[in-house]
Amino acid sequence: MLSIILLSVSGLANLFLGFNRSNRLILPFVLLVLAAVLGVTVSGIDTHGALAVWNQSPYFTGMLTFDRYAQVFTGVMVLTTLLLLPFSQKYVRDGNANLAEYYSILLFSLVGGIMMVSYNNLLIFFLGVETLSIAMYVLAGSDKSNLRSNEAALKYFLMGSFTTGILLFGIALLYGATGTFDLAQMGNAVRAIPAADAGLRPMMHIGLLLMLIGVGFKISAAPFHFWTPDVYEGTPTLFTGYMSTVVKTAGVAGFFKLLFVAFGGETIEFWLPTLTAMLVLTLFIGNVGAVAQTNAKRMLAYSSISHAGYLLLALVALQSGRLSVNAIFFYSLAYSVATVAAFAVLKLVHDQRERDDYDGLNGLARTNPLLAFVMTVAMLSLAGIPLTGGFFGKFYLFSAAAQEGHIGLVIFAVVMSAVGIFYYLRPIMAMYMKPAAEGSDAPVFVGGFQSAVLVLLVALTVLLGVWPGVVEGMF
Amino acid sequence: MAEQAPLAVFAGSPLLYILIPLLPFLGFLINGLLNRRLSGTVAGLIGSATVLGSFLISLTLFLRFLGNPVPYTVHLFEWINVGSLRIPFSYQIDQLSLIMLLLVTGVGFLIHVYSIGYMHHDANVGKFFSFLNLFVFSMLVLVLGSNYVILFIGWEGVGLCSYLLIGFWNKNHNYNNAAKKAFIINRIGDLGFLLGIFLIYFTFDTVQYGEVFQKASQLQVGAGVVTAITLLLFVGAMGKSAQLPLYTWLPDAMAGPTPVSALIHAATMVTAGIYMVLRSNVLYTLAPDTLNVVAWIGALTALFAATIGLAQNDIKKVLAYSTVSQLGYMFLALGVMGYSSSLFHVLTHAFFKALMFLGAGSVIHAMSNEQDIRRMGGLRKALPITFLTFLIGCIAISGIPPFSGFFSKDEILAHAYEHNKVLWGIGLLTAFLTAFYMFRLLFLTFFGEFRGTEEQKHHLHESPASMTLPLIILAVLAAIGGFMNAPLVLGRGYLADFLAPLFTYSRQINPEAFGGEIDHATEYMLIGLSVAAGVLGIVLAYVLYVAKRTRPVEEEAQRGAFEKLVYHKYYVDELYDALFVKPSMFLSRTLHDFVEKRVVDGAVTGVGRGVMGSSQLLRNLQTGKVETYLLLMVLGIVVVLALNFIRL
Amino acid sequence: MDQTIPEVIRTIPLQYYVFFATALFAIGVLGVLTRRNAIIIFMCVELMLNAVNILLAAFSAYRADPNGQVFVFFIMAVAAAEVAVGLGIIVMIYRNVQNTDVNLLDRLKW
Repeated sequence: MLSIILLSVSGLANLFLGFNRSNRLILPFVLLVLAAVLGVTVSGIDTHGALAVWNQSPYFTGMLTFDRYAQVFTGVMVLTTLLLLPFSQKYVRDGNANLAEYYSILLFSLVGGIMMVSYNNLLIFFLGVETLSIAMYVLAGSDKSNLRSNEAALKYFLMGSFTTGILLFGIALLYGATGTFDLAQMGNAVRAIPAADAGLRPMMHIGLLLMLIGVGFKISAAPFHFWTPDVYEGTPTLFTGYMSTVVKTAGVAGFFKLLFVAFGGETIEFWLPTLTAMLVLTLFIGNVGAVAQTNAKRMLAYSSISHAGYLLLALVALQSGRLSVNAIFFYSLAYSVATVAAFAVLKLVHDQRERDDYDGLNGLARTNPLLAFVMTVAMLSLAGIPLTGGFFGKFYLFSAAAQEGHIGLVIFAVVMSAVGIFYYLRPIMAMYMKPAAEGSDAPVFVGGFQSAVLVLLVALTVLLGVWPGVVEGMF
Repeated sequence: MAEQAPLAVFAGSPLLYILIPLLPFLGFLINGLLNRRLSGTVAGLIGSATVLGSFLISLTLFLRFLGNPVPYTVHLFEWINVGSLRIPFSYQIDQLSLIMLLLVTGVGFLIHVYSIGYMHHDANVGKFFSFLNLFVFSMLVLVLGSNYVILFIGWEGVGLCSYLLIGFWNKNHNYNNAAKKAFIINRIGDLGFLLGIFLIYFTFDTVQYGEVFQKASQLQVGAGVVTAITLLLFVGAMGKSAQLPLYTWLPDAMAGPTPVSALIHAATMVTAGIYMVLRSNVLYTLAPDTLNVVAWIGALTALFAATIGLAQNDIKKVLAYSTVSQLGYMFLALGVMGYSSSLFHVLTHAFFKALMFLGAGSVIHAMSNEQDIRRMGGLRKALPITFLTFLIGCIAISGIPPFSGFFSKDEILAHAYEHNKVLWGIGLLTAFLTAFYMFRLLFLTFFGEFRGTEEQKHHLHESPASMTLPLIILAVLAAIGGFMNAPLVLGRGYLADFLAPLFTYSRQINPEAFGGEIDHATEYMLIGLSVAAGVLGIVLAYVLYVAKRTRPVEEEAQRGAFEKLVYHKYYVDELYDALFVKPSMFLSRTLHDFVEKRVVDGAVTGVGRGVMGSSQLLRNLQTGKVETYLLLMVLGIVVVLALNFIRL
Repeated sequence: MDQTIPEVIRTIPLQYYVFFATALFAIGVLGVLTRRNAIIIFMCVELMLNAVNILLAAFSAYRADPNGQVFVFFIMAVAAAEVAVGLGIIVMIYRNVQNTDVNLLDRLKW
């Protein structure tokens, strides 16, 4: 709870810094706030209790709970944001007039993300989703004079608000069938509906499916992924990085909680076939779609779709409990770190070379060996090559699915991850093997602090890949 | 059961064990971080010293183990511990891992020393040695690990180093393509391996060797799940150990510096697949069907690669195909359950193939980076040590007694003979071809007239001591290494006795498949035939390339060569040429140009194209219009609802 | 004649509300699919949200549970926020291209 209060209050305070045009203060202030929130969250994690108790320290008559589950995922999201923001220095340097607003919106959206992992009531979940989404609509269009950014904002907004309608209709039907918005009570009510009930049962089933679709959209699961490539490409790079990490983590963690608490056990049959089909389609479209891309951001968009597919494996295997939760946690962490690294490099390159296709990366290994190395490690981690965090992320996910007997899905996922090699190698090839274009072969400017963060990102990725036990005990 | 006690846990201080892989890793860090600041020689000395340290420790452990041969695990720390998934980081110390340790560190050390001389002109020596050390580290992790996940980590680590080192001279675009190819093909194999691991975890609920094998030994021979596991693992081995059809990366990998070819692509990394199968011998014994597949793929690879080797003109390419062929031999041995013979061949092959690669490196060094044997000739005067050692390597690989290759090859052929006469026939034919093309290489390189440029001739020189010394040591090993496991008629198989406890479970599971002893008459007959095949090959090569001074045709003349066959009248002694040599050369070229380039490479690139094509199709869905997206999403919703309710 | 509002609501059978809300929702969806003006599409989305509101209110009355009505308030508040942001985006685009046709912007594709 402290994290939500801290973020909201400092978000407001930050706006005042904006009034004073004290741009130089804003970034350090925001980073400090995030560091404080991270400290508060991580120090609050009680690693000795049993596996996440869903009803610990409830707020607002049990609508919000800050159990271990919520705290750990809050930690992942805050850490991701903290690592991502140093790469926004160009906005500061350029004296962007709306700087304070952007940061405040980011902080507010983070509150939405936290609500999505700590909810205990669909109302909070809905508010979290909307807080996060509305903030993202604004950030997608934050480059106001750029038509691509405009287009991204419009597309995201129209499709997003449309899906909000679907999600709400699902919630309304679930409410009609169970008479409650509370997760645990809803689970009991769902189990209490007699199998022969011709009215409530289909209503509940349709409601659940519509919710699956609504949340599936937010985490860009196929066939509701269409917004992802376009919006990712048009959105300013920094916020794309935020979208593909924090939004995804919040979505998947919230989704898992919903299914695990309210629709676990014998009610699994209502959603398992649909989710399995979505998973297969998502993996296929994400991985195969990425192969033909020539724009690094668009490739990462497809890659983000594919990662949603891998994460869905943990949801499909949620009966394995702890194994599954840990898989989501580890994968989100490893994936977020690697994605932040990739987008950080893209952002720095974009700041100088004004392009984000593969050719924009040409010759980076000669001009900026550090950037090229960071990008390489990020790509290898996303591809799931051993010795990087991404490998153990996938390993945990696949183990959980294998444990639950989904061998076919695991085989499919492994084959799809092989396809991943094709496209993750392409930026590496561009950086190491192609010479930079004439005139753009000057080294990309990287600040000292930024270099330090980049090194940290690589170190984290490798650490997670060599010693995954380091974050063990969270679950 | 007592002797098969892989679960015994070592209780003493694990410091010594930690140091084995840690020393090369330190070398990697030092050389990697101080890349530019260290002079080449210092970097080389650091790199070599760390590997030497590991070798000495391994030797100590080995000697200690000889005194009390009980396998044990060394538990280092809890690595992964989530719910039911528990994977400790521990070492498996037994006959197999100790022998592999000695091999990796011993041969690795010699090649490090050799590299000091070979690479001293290069600008990035520090980087080179740091990669080489990283490779040794990964390889040691691979052989030391006590479960499949550690094995896989090491497996990927060596793959990464191989990739880095193939592309070491990354100024050349072809080299980069070779590196990329190696990487992608290995990933295909790794998929199989990874799936195999998941299936093992799913079936046995553990990935720890000891527990897996104990549980597996309760299963029936031919159980479906074990067949699936072993086949999947074998796909991994096919990629890493370059078997049909995933072998094409290995010849291309010769783009890397020659010591890399010797260490990684001949002596150690490519034998990782064999190590893995040996390690899992219990599982393989349970799956006779898989063993059959292994044996046939091994035999066919051996023959296929040997045939291609006949017409190659690049000194390293010949050795590369010969490596593929010899790896095929090792898999043939595994397939016919000659487990210890396979490991024996791994060892002897490491000696003579590393020797020949290093010899080739010495030649290339002397010839100012010329690799085409058509430009060489008569080098034996200029490079006497290289020539002599190379000759020993050639004799060894050709299976002439009493050199090492004779013993190991003979054992494999004997096992194959017991098992399946056709496999034995293929093996024998391959032995003949091997002797022929190896001596073709030797004669063309070291005998006859010098065919290079004047400038090259002027430069010819014997390599420095840091390069010749490893050659001499390896030559001695290649010459006498075979006596560690002499065939039964000639004495005792020390190595086989030493390794026997590894196969206790397998022996219990399927005693008859292990086969008894062949009677002495048959064994003498087999020895005679295999030696005869080798000698025949050498004689033929001598007749063609020394006595008759045949020269391989130049590339431009290739097409004409076949036409000549039709239009010209042949003299009597050319008839032989036409009947045997030309067709076999033609076959060899066809296999290389058509089967390898089109079929095998074609299949790999075909899959790539298919994926690319589907990707292009998928792009068409992404029209950029919100209207279409919304429509597709609503369609998706309708389909989801319809699929869920259509049966209601 | 002293009926409370929930009682009035309950004078009509529940399934009628469900059908009505579903129809309204479907009209909204169809509108979203067929119109090309961003503002009208957005209005149709609002229609969908209102269908949900009706549904929630009806369920709430029938179950005599105030939670549903509270949810309606939150939906209204969120919808207002969405309107603000949505119109902002549309105005921004109108400034740049002098049009609100959603198909005009299709640079981001494939």
